[in-house]
Amino acid sequence: MRGPLSLRQKLAGAPLRLISGGTPEPRFSDQLIAVLPRLRRFARGLTGSVVEADDLVQSACERALSRRHQFEEGTRFDSWMFRIVQTIWIDQIRARDIRKEEKEIAEERLGSDEPVRRVEARLALEEVRRALDRLPPDQRTVLLLVTVDGLSYREAAEVVRVPVGTIMSRLARARIALQAELDAGGSGRGSNEDAAAQ
Amino acid sequence: MQQRSDERLVAYLDGELEPAERCEIEAWLESDAQARDRLTALANSANLLRLALDPAAREAVPERLIAAARGERTHAEAEIIALPPRPAARPQSLWRRQLAAPIAASVLGLMLGGGAGYLGIAPLLSRNVASANGQAAVVAAAANDVWLDNAAGYFKLFVRAGDNALVDVPATGDTRAALEKISQSLPQALRLPDLKPWGLNFRGARLVVVEGRPAAQLVYTTENKAIGPLTLIIGSSKKPDIAPTFNRRQNVNVLYWRHQGRAYALVGQADIGYLWGIANDVAWQLDAI
Repeated sequence: MRGPLSLRQKLAGAPLRLISGGTPEPRFSDQLIAVLPRLRRFARGLTGSVVEADDLVQSACERALSRRHQFEEGTRFDSWMFRIVQTIWIDQIRARDIRKEEKEIAEERLGSDEPVRRVEARLALEEVRRALDRLPPDQRTVLLLVTVDGLSYREAAEVVRVPVGTIMSRLARARIALQAELDAGGSGRGSNEDAAAQ
Repeated sequence: MQQRSDERLVAYLDGELEPAERCEIEAWLESDAQARDRLTALANSANLLRLALDPAAREAVPERLIAAARGERTHAEAEIIALPPRPAARPQSLWRRQLAAPIAASVLGLMLGGGAGYLGIAPLLSRNVASANGQAAVVAAAANDVWLDNAAGYFKLFVRAGDNALVDVPATGDTRAALEKISQSLPQALRLPDLKPWGLNFRGARLVVVEGRPAAQLVYTTENKAIGPLTLIIGSSKKPDIAPTFNRRQNVNVLYWRHQGRAYALVGQADIGYLWGIANDVAWQLDAI
């Protein structure tokens, strides 16, 4: 059911040799750089914002480098990084009591001469992003790890440190909620499309 | 009860069920049209989610993140490796050095030129190191230095020539025949990575030399100035495997790696993030990781 591992997953999953102290071992940085696109996608899904996502990934890189001695050889590097990103994000939510805003999604141009089909597709994707933003943080995290990044339930359970059964139920709730949001959004999308296409 | 059913449907979609459970679900789906609709809806929403977020993973990674991953606070330009001074006995103007190495390397006699550069630089460099143990590392660095400079030089030659650039094997006509032709000069058959998803079109291939052995320089062009043109050098190497490593030579970005007897260098002026993405794609397609 799941597709083959992407190259980045293979690379990021490879065992890592570490040295202690001094400058980061080149291989550590290389692994970190290789996993950056996936971290950015994960962070984008969590925060719903390009800038916040990149800030989050930058903080995660800094934390990973400062704690690289804590990485256990033989474990998956990408999972370790996902956990760092998720942990920092949860800390930020708790600290700031973030109120979701309409971020850059609202800044994207709506009225234009784009073809109707393209407008429709774009609006559908915007709805998905908005629906994702409305999910509780724990469901959003699991949805991104499994559905977008292709982690197995067991791997996702290791990242968020909950039992596999919890992953299963959170994921089902998230997928159902997402589906419900899209169904609700889809019914009102027609008028938006017409307005955008004009 | 509905929650439990949905959990099983989602796990079925994710390929997380045991064979016996899969059979149960499939039997259920076969007999229940409502369940089939539910499954389709759940699959569609998952696909939309991936479509919405996948572009984020294909964007160029900002240099500040690359720098953060390397533990640097400065601009990514700081990644340029400080090189030992060039041998004073062979003064060459910049333009000559940039052009001479690749030109020499693109003909048969170039193999001798590469070797002379390797041998000639090493003793001079050794004066810059205090310990004898460091010499081997410096010699290796010098050899690396030569071939990375050549890789950057080959690229600049192509860019300077513009539309008049000559390739040994043009992409026009039968690409497979072209690859077979160029493979005759190489120890291993050459496979052509398809970079069309990046908007890059294969323009042709040239024979060059890497580490004293024949290699292919694949040339890709695009209308997108942010990405191309790009060249990919594929040669053979007896050196141990190394992970993709970034370097910058002659104002050109170079990503190089070695895998199972092959050396690869992706060269261009694209943002480092693009190069990483394209290099990953190349390595995936060529099973070079």
